[in-house]
Amino acid sequence: MKFLEKEIKNSPLFGFDKSDNVKSLQLDAFKEFNRYGLPDKSWEDWKYSDFSLLNSMSFRFGLRKNISILPYPFPEIKDSNQIVFFNGYYQKDLSSTSDKISIETIDQTYKENPELIHKIFSPKTNPFHNINSAMINTGLTIIIHDNEIINEPIHIINYTSDIDEPIMNHPLFIMKIGIGSEASIVEHYYGSTNREYWVNAVTKIELQKNSSLNHIRLQEDANSSYHIADTEYILEKDTQLSAFHYASGASSYRQNINVNLNDIGASSSMNGLCLSKVKQKHDHFITVNHLKEKCTSNQLFKYVLSDAALGIFNGRVIVKKDAQQTDAKQSTRNLLLNDKAAAHSNPQLEIYADDVKCSHGSTTGQLDNNAIFYMRSRGIDFKTAHLLLVNGFAAETLKIISNKNINKYVNDQLSYWLENTGITK
Amino acid sequence: MLEIKNLKATIKGKEILKGINLNVNNGEIHAVMGRNGSGKSTLANIIAGRDSYDVTSGDILYNNKSILNDTPEDRALEGIFMSFQYPVTIPGVNNTYFLKAALNAKRKHQGKAELDAVEFLDLIRKKLQIVGMEEKYLHRAVNDGFSGGEKKRNEILQMITLEPTLAILDETDSGLDIDALKIVAEGVNNYRQDDRAIVIITHYQRILRHLQADHVHVLIDGKIAKSGGEELAETLEEKGYGWLDN
Repeated sequence: MKFLEKEIKNSPLFGFDKSDNVKSLQLDAFKEFNRYGLPDKSWEDWKYSDFSLLNSMSFRFGLRKNISILPYPFPEIKDSNQIVFFNGYYQKDLSSTSDKISIETIDQTYKENPELIHKIFSPKTNPFHNINSAMINTGLTIIIHDNEIINEPIHIINYTSDIDEPIMNHPLFIMKIGIGSEASIVEHYYGSTNREYWVNAVTKIELQKNSSLNHIRLQEDANSSYHIADTEYILEKDTQLSAFHYASGASSYRQNINVNLNDIGASSSMNGLCLSKVKQKHDHFITVNHLKEKCTSNQLFKYVLSDAALGIFNGRVIVKKDAQQTDAKQSTRNLLLNDKAAAHSNPQLEIYADDVKCSHGSTTGQLDNNAIFYMRSRGIDFKTAHLLLVNGFAAETLKIISNKNINKYVNDQLSYWLENTGITK
Repeated sequence: MLEIKNLKATIKGKEILKGINLNVNNGEIHAVMGRNGSGKSTLANIIAGRDSYDVTSGDILYNNKSILNDTPEDRALEGIFMSFQYPVTIPGVNNTYFLKAALNAKRKHQGKAELDAVEFLDLIRKKLQIVGMEEKYLHRAVNDGFSGGEKKRNEILQMITLEPTLAILDETDSGLDIDALKIVAEGVNNYRQDDRAIVIITHYQRILRHLQADHVHVLIDGKIAKSGGEELAETLEEKGYGWLDN
């Protein structure tokens, strides 16, 4: 990818501390990426998501722009602390936080905790993670101090709009939830443009012991975009993660998720909802690692696929030898609204312990004609009957969002999506 | 109110109804009896507008107008209601929401103001009492986790809430214990009015002990083999359907 080579020196963080260390980390990551190049159909883990077309394209970093008022339309979540990025640039004036939280730029984090950054930048099997390390141009570190309860959600908005040429962003978000703390963080990607752009995000989330986190990731990038993401959760002793992954945007979306249940009593509940239409491709590749005993994990991913959309789910739960008394559930359900839509689901279990409770399942179906006739026979029109059924299918995943303002936001987006999805007889 | 003229219908090419004639007037209760496979449910479903059947000839007039080309929702809005033999479970759709949407669609069609949440709850609580249902059923998904009897009561709840002019009860009595049967019968009696009509499709005479049918028809092999008064049901109970076979 020539454009990356050309642009790497323009990375706003390239050599940010004027030491050669980071530069060499970035260059090493780029070398690592170049050893294998972009994944194509011949890569087993990427066979349905072919991003080799990025080779023939060209993206640049966006131009620095500071805005003084929120862009329109703005995806507001009521009563939250907003952190706003516009085309990859942090908008300090539009952002607010609380003193229970520390916000650092990635270069500050490097100065305070170089080992962490070294670890993140070290070679990875996911080529896009290596690209992110090489090209990193935006992002933040959010640290919730120990024993703090943050009631208002932190809403990070990565807004893309008003661009003249195809841009790319390689954000790195690091989130650290201190011992005994509780927080809700919304990691939000939102686009309002017809131009092509590319988001290649990496998020590292660590829950220190006894903490709990609601992590809501909303991918509402413009349909002209490509969105690739790698999200890693590390759960220490007696921690609780509730995660929700929502995707309705981007023409091609690939989300890798790694959940590491590192210590006794960690619990992860994760739901996902993909709303896909036209020729969108939404691909989740999830690995849940049960490393120690008495951990639980739950996953429920649903796809609503219209037109010629493609939904891909690859979920692997690995229960290591030491992870006795594991309780793991995984379920994926696809609803096809159309004959041209398709779904590939591949749930897998790898169990090396003997005292465990594990289940997984996958279903793919269409709307139940009996249910539609039932509703119509009560006077509910054809379209409303469809909307109610699809909404009923999708809304189950939203139950994991306990904050009512976030829940309302996602619910509204779901209703809007349904209203604007062609349902015909 | 309902006039069925020489109705013939097929499903996947197989003829199920072979020329049905039936007239139902305001204020009347008709019972249609017959064995499994005689075409009773097909008849009910065709009146309600299910499109998996092909009507090959004949007509159905409702208030003197043919309804064969009307959608199921149009028929419902005009006052036709079918209580399902097997009420459908609708996961994720809340029973209250469903009932309210149905009632408001009808009110809108009638040019009446739609009910808000409070007004609706007021109304539905009274209706729940009539069918002996607890309020918790309102908060579940439609028929989700309901027992057979609860599903049938839910059908009657929908009927007395939507107040149709023509109610077709497709084996609403099957699978009910005696108490449930009484409650369902009471719901139907409660609904009965001079400007309404009811068609009960059933295997058994027992529900007819609680409801007075004006006419009883026996359906055999897609045709009405015999019509009569209540005494016909009693004769059937005694002699079985074999009595009418040729």
